[in-house]
Amino acid sequence: MFPLLSRAAAVAMAAAITIGSAGLAAADHGGGGSDVRREGSCSGSAHWKLKVKPDDGRLAVEVEIDSNRRGQVWSWRILHDGFTSYRGNRTTRAPSGSFSVERRVVDMSGSDLIGLRAKNSATGQTCRGHLAY
Amino acid sequence: MIARRQPPGPNGPAATRRRAWLRPVVQFSIAGVIAVVLLIVGAGWLSKKAATDEAISDARRMTEILGRSVAQPELSEAMVDPGNPAQSAAIDRFDSIARHRLLVGDVLRVKIWNSEGIIVYSDDTSLIGQNFGLGDEERKVLEHGGTDAEVSDLSKAENIDERSFGRLLEVYSQIWTPKGQPLLFEAYYSYDVVSQRSSDIQASFRPITVAGLLIFTLLIVPLVWILARRLDRAAAERERLLTAAVEASAVERRRIARDLHDGVVQDLAGLSFAASAASRDLKDDPELAARMESLGVGVRSNLRALRSLLVEIYPPELRTEGLAAALDDLIAPAIAAGIDVDLNVEDTEGSDDDAIGLVWRTAQEVVRNAVRHGQPEHLRVAVAMTDASLILTVEDDGRGFDPSAAPRDGHLGLRALRDLIHEMGADFTLESTPGTGTKVRMEVAR
Repeated sequence: MFPLLSRAAAVAMAAAITIGSAGLAAADHGGGGSDVRREGSCSGSAHWKLKVKPDDGRLAVEVEIDSNRRGQVWSWRILHDGFTSYRGNRTTRAPSGSFSVERRVVDMSGSDLIGLRAKNSATGQTCRGHLAY
Repeated sequence: MIARRQPPGPNGPAATRRRAWLRPVVQFSIAGVIAVVLLIVGAGWLSKKAATDEAISDARRMTEILGRSVAQPELSEAMVDPGNPAQSAAIDRFDSIARHRLLVGDVLRVKIWNSEGIIVYSDDTSLIGQNFGLGDEERKVLEHGGTDAEVSDLSKAENIDERSFGRLLEVYSQIWTPKGQPLLFEAYYSYDVVSQRSSDIQASFRPITVAGLLIFTLLIVPLVWILARRLDRAAAERERLLTAAVEASAVERRRIARDLHDGVVQDLAGLSFAASAASRDLKDDPELAARMESLGVGVRSNLRALRSLLVEIYPPELRTEGLAAALDDLIAPAIAAGIDVDLNVEDTEGSDDDAIGLVWRTAQEVVRNAVRHGQPEHLRVAVAMTDASLILTVEDDGRGFDPSAAPRDGHLGLRALRDLIHEMGADFTLESTPGTGTKVRMEVAR
């Protein structure tokens, strides 16, 4: 996606996008090892949540998409410094009509920018969210 | 100069000979046990070394398999390029796949190095991106392939986080990125596992080594026992033959001496008496009487010489003729040589035949040496008896000699005599200096 950008530039760009989005920080990362959460609205009625917490030298990243509709198929990606670390497809389940994914990323030196992308191909809804850890 | 030697054991030479074959068997058994112990220790050391090498070789093979079959297929160019913005995501993917497949079995840690000495991946993520440089051996593996194994130096900065594992074995192997960039794959193994593996291998060979050596020893000891018995029997046979030869020689000498004594000596004695008698009967012819007397003196002189020769050929029958008579015959040549001889022999009644024989043999050798080499004017031979021993003293005022000097040809008999005296447990003293004569004292239990 940004093959010629340095890691710092990618982090700065993603941070700017995050600041401009509708996401709200539910907790912050003070550098003491606590978790960081952020949530926001997708392009439709769905909501997303992103949570990052330290886990044995790595970062445990948890993504949740809640569309209130069960049976919807969403494609998702977890980004690390702007590039895709993990991707997959999940289906929203009853009773909440949501799904969640948890993956671990490497805690690189300096600030890590963790992002999510989700898209419902049927409805065209997209979800975007980032946080810096 | 006094020399003493312990007499043979109470059970005699036979018992000593019976025990003789035991000595090589015991010596071999002791040497065999020492050799077996040394071999077991040596074999243990060698097998431990071989087992350790084998265990390390296993670790090398394991590292090559992990590097080539697990780590290399998951590598990407972005992952190993610190300047690539996609590096973090690439490391995440590698970590998620490879971590659980690399840290298997005895592997406690893995690291992947680039040619600049930067750790591009480790399951200890705090090390990623740090530059520790590469040693010569590691660089050689990275550039030319192969493996390298060594005990980890936990004092190195790159190994700080490994200290909690204890002693470690680190093994390096070469891997490649998809575009052909060589990397160094490093795996750490607990050295306890290597030691355990080594002990397992060693333990499997130890029974074979020990049992083999013990069986060999058990087989060889009876052979040595049999060989020793054969050698002992051969020695006994040699001794018997030698004794028989000596006895045959003695018998022959005795026969010659007896024939001379009973024949020639008696005839000469008769001639000397007849000459003396004829001399006395020829009062009318003084000249002829003098010639007959001279003939008788000559015959007696030759008779004395012949008797001395008989003593040389065969020692006298000390039991029947007595030590005093034998010594009297012994000093006859000395008297004939003009030496003033003083012979004093106490009654040796009740003494052991061997002790008397030794006194005789000693006196024979010492008197003979005094006459032949000392050229003394006076010679004193005395045999005294105490409650416990016979004491022979032979003293002359001849030329004397240095007892510490190497024996001359004529004194070899003295050395042999000394050995005989020592074997019988007697005391022997010889005092002599050049120009002051010689004094010999021998004391033997009676």
